[in-house]
Amino acid sequence: MVIDLIVAFCLVVGLIFFAGGTLGLLRFPDFYSRLHPAGKLDTMGSFLVLLGLAIHQLFPLTLGTVLTGLKLMLIVVFVFLASPTATHAIVDAGFRAGLEPWRKGDPRR
Amino acid sequence: MKTLGLIIVGLVGAGLVYATIDFPPFGDPKSPASLHVSPRYLEKTVEETAVPNAVTSVLGDYRGFDTMFETTVIFCAGVACFLLLRIPRRRSSGPRQYRHRLTGLTFRIKEGGEIFLPLREFEPVDSIWTPHDFIIEKVCRYLIPFIQLFGLYVIAHGHHSPGGGFQGGVILGASIILLSVSHNLRTALNRMGEKISALFSPVGVFIFAGTGALCLVLGYRFLDYQALAALLPGGPIMARSHGILLVEVGVGMAVMGTMVWIFKNLASRGRYDEGL
Repeated sequence: MVIDLIVAFCLVVGLIFFAGGTLGLLRFPDFYSRLHPAGKLDTMGSFLVLLGLAIHQLFPLTLGTVLTGLKLMLIVVFVFLASPTATHAIVDAGFRAGLEPWRKGDPRR
Repeated sequence: MKTLGLIIVGLVGAGLVYATIDFPPFGDPKSPASLHVSPRYLEKTVEETAVPNAVTSVLGDYRGFDTMFETTVIFCAGVACFLLLRIPRRRSSGPRQYRHRLTGLTFRIKEGGEIFLPLREFEPVDSIWTPHDFIIEKVCRYLIPFIQLFGLYVIAHGHHSPGGGFQGGVILGASIILLSVSHNLRTALNRMGEKISALFSPVGVFIFAGTGALCLVLGYRFLDYQALAALLPGGPIMARSHGILLVEVGVGMAVMGTMVWIFKNLASRGRYDEGL
């Protein structure tokens, strides 16, 4: 019962992060600021959702379920490494291509 | 003319929609597709091949010919890209640039000029060379081994879970492409040269066809892996499972080699220089 509550909490908060990331992707004014929610919030959202799933399938506690949980956490580790790096690479490419960052007062791009 | 096109598109679309009415309903057990061979495959797979994943056994064993020629098609795509795009490297055409690895100084050597410094400390660069990004370089360097390990796992574990030669080969090829994107094409070429990637795809096809030919030599039909029971332990049923694994390794090699080969040709427009 308590486990179900923890799982539900993780999933809901993870989905809130995902929703925030999507909203930011749609609403922010330019390229760089749009990548900011895409890189950060999606990473956190996937962490929480996968954590919830890992806890959910952990009971009854056997070797198989523990291994599955570890595999899910391994996905989180790689998402944490890869997603911010990919965002950084895209920002870097945009900066090298000479795209000016948006400043207050500029029109939305 | 535009109206005519619109009318034709509308008529064809309406015909297609009309034709879909004749489709069997979704998941209909009486539809032709699920009446003849599918149930047989699903029911007999474990019994006949000892492979729990029916997709793999159908792909590698029951429909082995199909998969073999799919692999050949991939190989042909690689060869076609190579023949269309590859430009033979011409020696000493125009000035060359060399970059000193430690100091970052770039030297420009005139046409016909010679470099008398130890070449180990220098790397050839092109005029479009840009410095590597530290974060991307380091993260990719640590991720690539794990990606390749996962690719091997996907190839070897195709019998029990989703996966197999095609998927694993794509992951392995993507790891080399990631190296090339995160560093540059020359770094990837030092790791996996043109000859190796060009050799991988025919060797993969050869392993597939060779497994089939081996069955033929041992007195069975082409790609009838039961014949391998004479060479491998475990009896005829396990031999079919092992035969599928052999074939998957061949597919993986062919897919990996071809992906890397096509990428190198496309990314550098056949010149194999800096590229992306």
